[in-house]
Amino acid sequence: MWTLFIMMVALSAIMSAALPGKFLRLLNFQSMFSQFPEFGLLSIAMMVAMISGGIDLSVVAITNLTGVVSALILTRMIPAGMAGPQAFIIMALAVVTAIVISGLCGLLNGVVISKFGVPPILATLGTQGLFLGIAIAITEGHGISTFPEKFLFIGSGMVGGIPMPFIIFVGVAVLIFLFMNKTKLGLSIYMVGSNPTVSRFAGIDNDNVLIKTYVVTGLLAGLSSVVMISRVNSMRPGYGAAYLLQAILVVILGGVDPYGGFGSVLGVTMGIIILQVLQSGFNILSFSPFFKKFIWGMMLLVVMVINFFVAKYQQRAKKLGTQPVESVPSPGE
Amino acid sequence: MKLFDAVKTYDYRSLLKHNETFVFFVLLGFSIVVTIINPSFLSIENLFDLAKSSAGMAILAIGVFIVLLSGGIDVSFTAVAISAQYIAVKTLIILGIDNLALAFLISCSVGIALGSINAFLISIFRLPTLITTLGTLSVFHGGLLEFVGSTPFYSGQIPDCFKSFGLAQVFTLVREDGTKFGLSLYVLIILGIVVVTWIILRYTMLGRGIYAIGGNREAAERAGFNITRIQFFIYCYVGFLAGIMAIMHLAMIRYATPTLSIVGTELSVIAAVVLGGARITGGSGSILGTLLGVALIVALQKNLVLMGLSSYWHQFLVGLIIIVGVSITYYQSLRRSQQRVVFTEEL
Amino acid sequence: MNENLLEIRNVSKAYVGVQALDKVDMTIRKGEIHCLVGENGSGKSTLIKVVAGVVRQDEGEIIINEKLYRYLHAIDSIREGVQIIYQDLSLFPNLTLAENISLNQEIERSRKVINWKDIKEIARHALDEIGEDLDLDERVENISVASKQLVAISRALTQDAKLIIMDEPTSSLTRDEISRLFNVITDLQKRGISTLFVSHKLSEVFEIAERVSILRDGKMVGTFNTEDLDNDRLVYLMTGKKVESTIYKFDEKKKKAPLVEVRNLSKSRNFKNISFSVQEGEIVGITGLLGSGRSELALALFGMFPADSGEILLEGKSVSIENTQDAINAGIGYLPEDRLNQGLFIEHSITRNIIVTILEKLLNKFGFISAKKREELVHKWVNRLKVKTPNVESPAQSLSGGNQQRLVLAKWLATNPRVFILDGPTIGVDIASKATIHQIVRGLAENGMGIIIISDEIPEVLQNCNRVLVMAKGKIIHEVKDVTSVTEDEVFSIMSRKEAYEAV
Repeated sequence: MWTLFIMMVALSAIMSAALPGKFLRLLNFQSMFSQFPEFGLLSIAMMVAMISGGIDLSVVAITNLTGVVSALILTRMIPAGMAGPQAFIIMALAVVTAIVISGLCGLLNGVVISKFGVPPILATLGTQGLFLGIAIAITEGHGISTFPEKFLFIGSGMVGGIPMPFIIFVGVAVLIFLFMNKTKLGLSIYMVGSNPTVSRFAGIDNDNVLIKTYVVTGLLAGLSSVVMISRVNSMRPGYGAAYLLQAILVVILGGVDPYGGFGSVLGVTMGIIILQVLQSGFNILSFSPFFKKFIWGMMLLVVMVINFFVAKYQQRAKKLGTQPVESVPSPGE
Repeated sequence: MKLFDAVKTYDYRSLLKHNETFVFFVLLGFSIVVTIINPSFLSIENLFDLAKSSAGMAILAIGVFIVLLSGGIDVSFTAVAISAQYIAVKTLIILGIDNLALAFLISCSVGIALGSINAFLISIFRLPTLITTLGTLSVFHGGLLEFVGSTPFYSGQIPDCFKSFGLAQVFTLVREDGTKFGLSLYVLIILGIVVVTWIILRYTMLGRGIYAIGGNREAAERAGFNITRIQFFIYCYVGFLAGIMAIMHLAMIRYATPTLSIVGTELSVIAAVVLGGARITGGSGSILGTLLGVALIVALQKNLVLMGLSSYWHQFLVGLIIIVGVSITYYQSLRRSQQRVVFTEEL
Repeated sequence: MNENLLEIRNVSKAYVGVQALDKVDMTIRKGEIHCLVGENGSGKSTLIKVVAGVVRQDEGEIIINEKLYRYLHAIDSIREGVQIIYQDLSLFPNLTLAENISLNQEIERSRKVINWKDIKEIARHALDEIGEDLDLDERVENISVASKQLVAISRALTQDAKLIIMDEPTSSLTRDEISRLFNVITDLQKRGISTLFVSHKLSEVFEIAERVSILRDGKMVGTFNTEDLDNDRLVYLMTGKKVESTIYKFDEKKKKAPLVEVRNLSKSRNFKNISFSVQEGEIVGITGLLGSGRSELALALFGMFPADSGEILLEGKSVSIENTQDAINAGIGYLPEDRLNQGLFIEHSITRNIIVTILEKLLNKFGFISAKKREELVHKWVNRLKVKTPNVESPAQSLSGGNQQRLVLAKWLATNPRVFILDGPTIGVDIASKATIHQIVRGLAENGMGIIIISDEIPEVLQNCNRVLVMAKGKIIHEVKDVTSVTEDEVFSIMSRKEAYEAV
């Protein structure tokens, strides 16, 4: 955890030093903090799924689908120049619809994974196609744009100089932190991810927990899509495809165990910040999107290789002062 | 007589247990429905055409199948394919050489090289296969576009060797009006790959090792299988196949757009393999099943319009098929493992 | 002519902070059946791994077939004819029997190409050697555990084995299957093949072994002829202590209404018409062979695999138990057979492990877990059960084996069950911990809990229960009301009566 913190601070320092005058500008910070929330929410969604012992490859597809539907509501149901309260109701409707649809998507994931026993990789790979496919079919590949100005406040407005999306993100991060650490369901997610057999014997209803996990993941993706469309003022199926890899990168960087059972909101948040700082730096340096794609991939691989060495070192250290556990004979250790 | 006896005594009930049977019947049913709507579906010409267009996916699917057999998953194969393709064609154009053999050589070498990177990460560092190949997908594709180039090559720039390869046929038939059509050479290539793969899987220690790793990795190590060597083979083989597919693909469509083509079709290929009965946990599946899965996906793709759906629904349908297909398969296993049956008859 | 096949001299092995083996000497003769026993943590596992060449010792040497080895590599071991059969058997579930049996040999011969005829022949030959007839084309995942074991043994034979090491081979076998296995081992002996048997079931030591080597805390206590030992002396040598065994007495006069009552509980293909009751303070034993339905009954009571029909009453009130949460809410606790793999989140903290079953009790008014309540509860139970740890936030895996057992118990006692079901509570547990667990359980009963012990170790139930129910083929066929009135053999013959399987 501390290494992450150090990394975060060090990176910011390097960036400020290497790009004098450009990095430390308020404008830069404001743009960073308004961009990362939509991505940050997706990362937290990925974190929750991974802690439960699975993965959700459909998060971006869910944002596409909910974004598209909300966008349709916003554009088709609000003729230009519609007066205040009416427009407001429709905007609220758009947000509610996003929540409902994303929740349903998550529900589908959860049911397929728990009730049908399909491994999460496969299930979310399939639903990814399903959700994205619906989005493509509805829009026939085109984007939908231009939303009412008031609506854009969610994504582009500011409260006291702090970008609105950032406030949303912080609020959600705190909520999820409390959820994962202080509620029964949250702790159960850790347990199911750690060892489903033991959790069954402990009275946890694994199916129930898994379904709720993926519903939460879906909802977070839905929230992310609301932020997305209000910031970018449009939605097109396929938007944010790069986010999937980045979310996985951030989550692994943040210390979440890909096999389940371990991870923290704080770690992931620091990972998000590190990524955003890098992203920002890359933008200032005008890296091409191809190069960025290359770098994110490399980073993911490097982080995992580092984790491999760290784990190896830790294994040796763990043997200190413990007796070999032989209560149930363990073959071939 | 022997054949007749064999047919008579064959354990048909056991066929029902096989996933391949289901896929076959779905495919059959689908074909019947489509033929009713459009009788030309079952024409020889159309079938030849279907065979040619599915060859590329089939080759990739076989590679993915082998990875799945070993208990892993590889999503980077599309990036490997496009890299192999682009590097080969760009080299040929720059050097001004018009030689198919060289194209294949370059393409397959790139494929094997990239595959070996996957193999290295997965076997030496024991990294989880999904996340690793997600990473290499980005690295390969991003790296290709950034360091090799992203400018497309269009029909006019593509060397002729590709065009003639794409049009090559095993034999030609003549229609009533004098025009010709034929069975593409691609079918022979695919057949060759199927046979070679089948021989490797069935008749070599390497092949059995792949099954062994997928079945029980630790036992495979103890038995003396060289896990690293086998994994290197697997991922390099995928790369090799991707290299072959890359040239075939280029020859067929006659333009190379590294930003847009091949990458993005991972889902369809994996869907085909999984539908064909391969387990994501490893150890089981068959080449036949994989081919049937590919046939189904491609048939769907080609006949969407016929069924009254715009091609925009393709992605959705593939996703839907996967979900329904795997739900059924995995649910059956789930039920079986949940029933703690102590006594075989009622008490 | 040296009659020793294997000689281990002065072998020591240390892991950081622990001396796993300390100057161990052991010999195994040719054509001998030799047992290796010891409590948990005694070094049994390490020793056999050293012999198999999987682990390298720090000091000492190994002499096999009169050849001296300073270190053994796995390949050396195999070449000298040492074959180790791990407890998990190391088979390939997705491959056929023929392949499972023959592949090792083919790999050893550096074969690159598979000749299916050869594979089948080798397998057939190996199976014939042990006198078994199994379907070579069947996939291993479809056969029984006992058959899998025979497959593992045949595989060992294909590589010209002189010594077969078996690690706890009988844990999942029925009585019949164990007999069959022992016959095979005796056959092997006639052909000059030695067997080294690691077991914790002392009865088996006396049944099959000629000599037994006893490890305690990494040191070899000695090797003895089994005919010179009896149970008590063996236990004493293993633990260095005399373990008192007294029979549990239940005060009949304290009779009240039953705490838990089961009426006509049935589950298709698992058990039928089970009816019995347990009072406060009683320890009722349920015994039967593996496959008698006894474990399934316990799991049904706990809601893991709920029954199809019948009633369960707690303190006179009918309760519905459809899942484990229902059971816990009703006050039923369950200690699983494989306590560590089924009972503990080994990488998570001691705190987390204890609180996971009673999360609801820790909630404050906002629905969040109160840190204060959590700490109170954890400390209470850690102290009560004397779980030795410097820090309750350390992971469960940092505890010693015995303390891990206590932790699992603590976790369940924290739910304040009224009825506690223990499934095979002392399997795989060392003698000292066994006694502690029994002691704790008796204490619980004396304080008013109703206890059900499921076990196939007849001495365990006879000593610790005041009543024993015997199950066979899914039904209760006999009740022992007075445990002093029967002997172990009598109970065993009731359980395994052929008539029990036909008439019932």
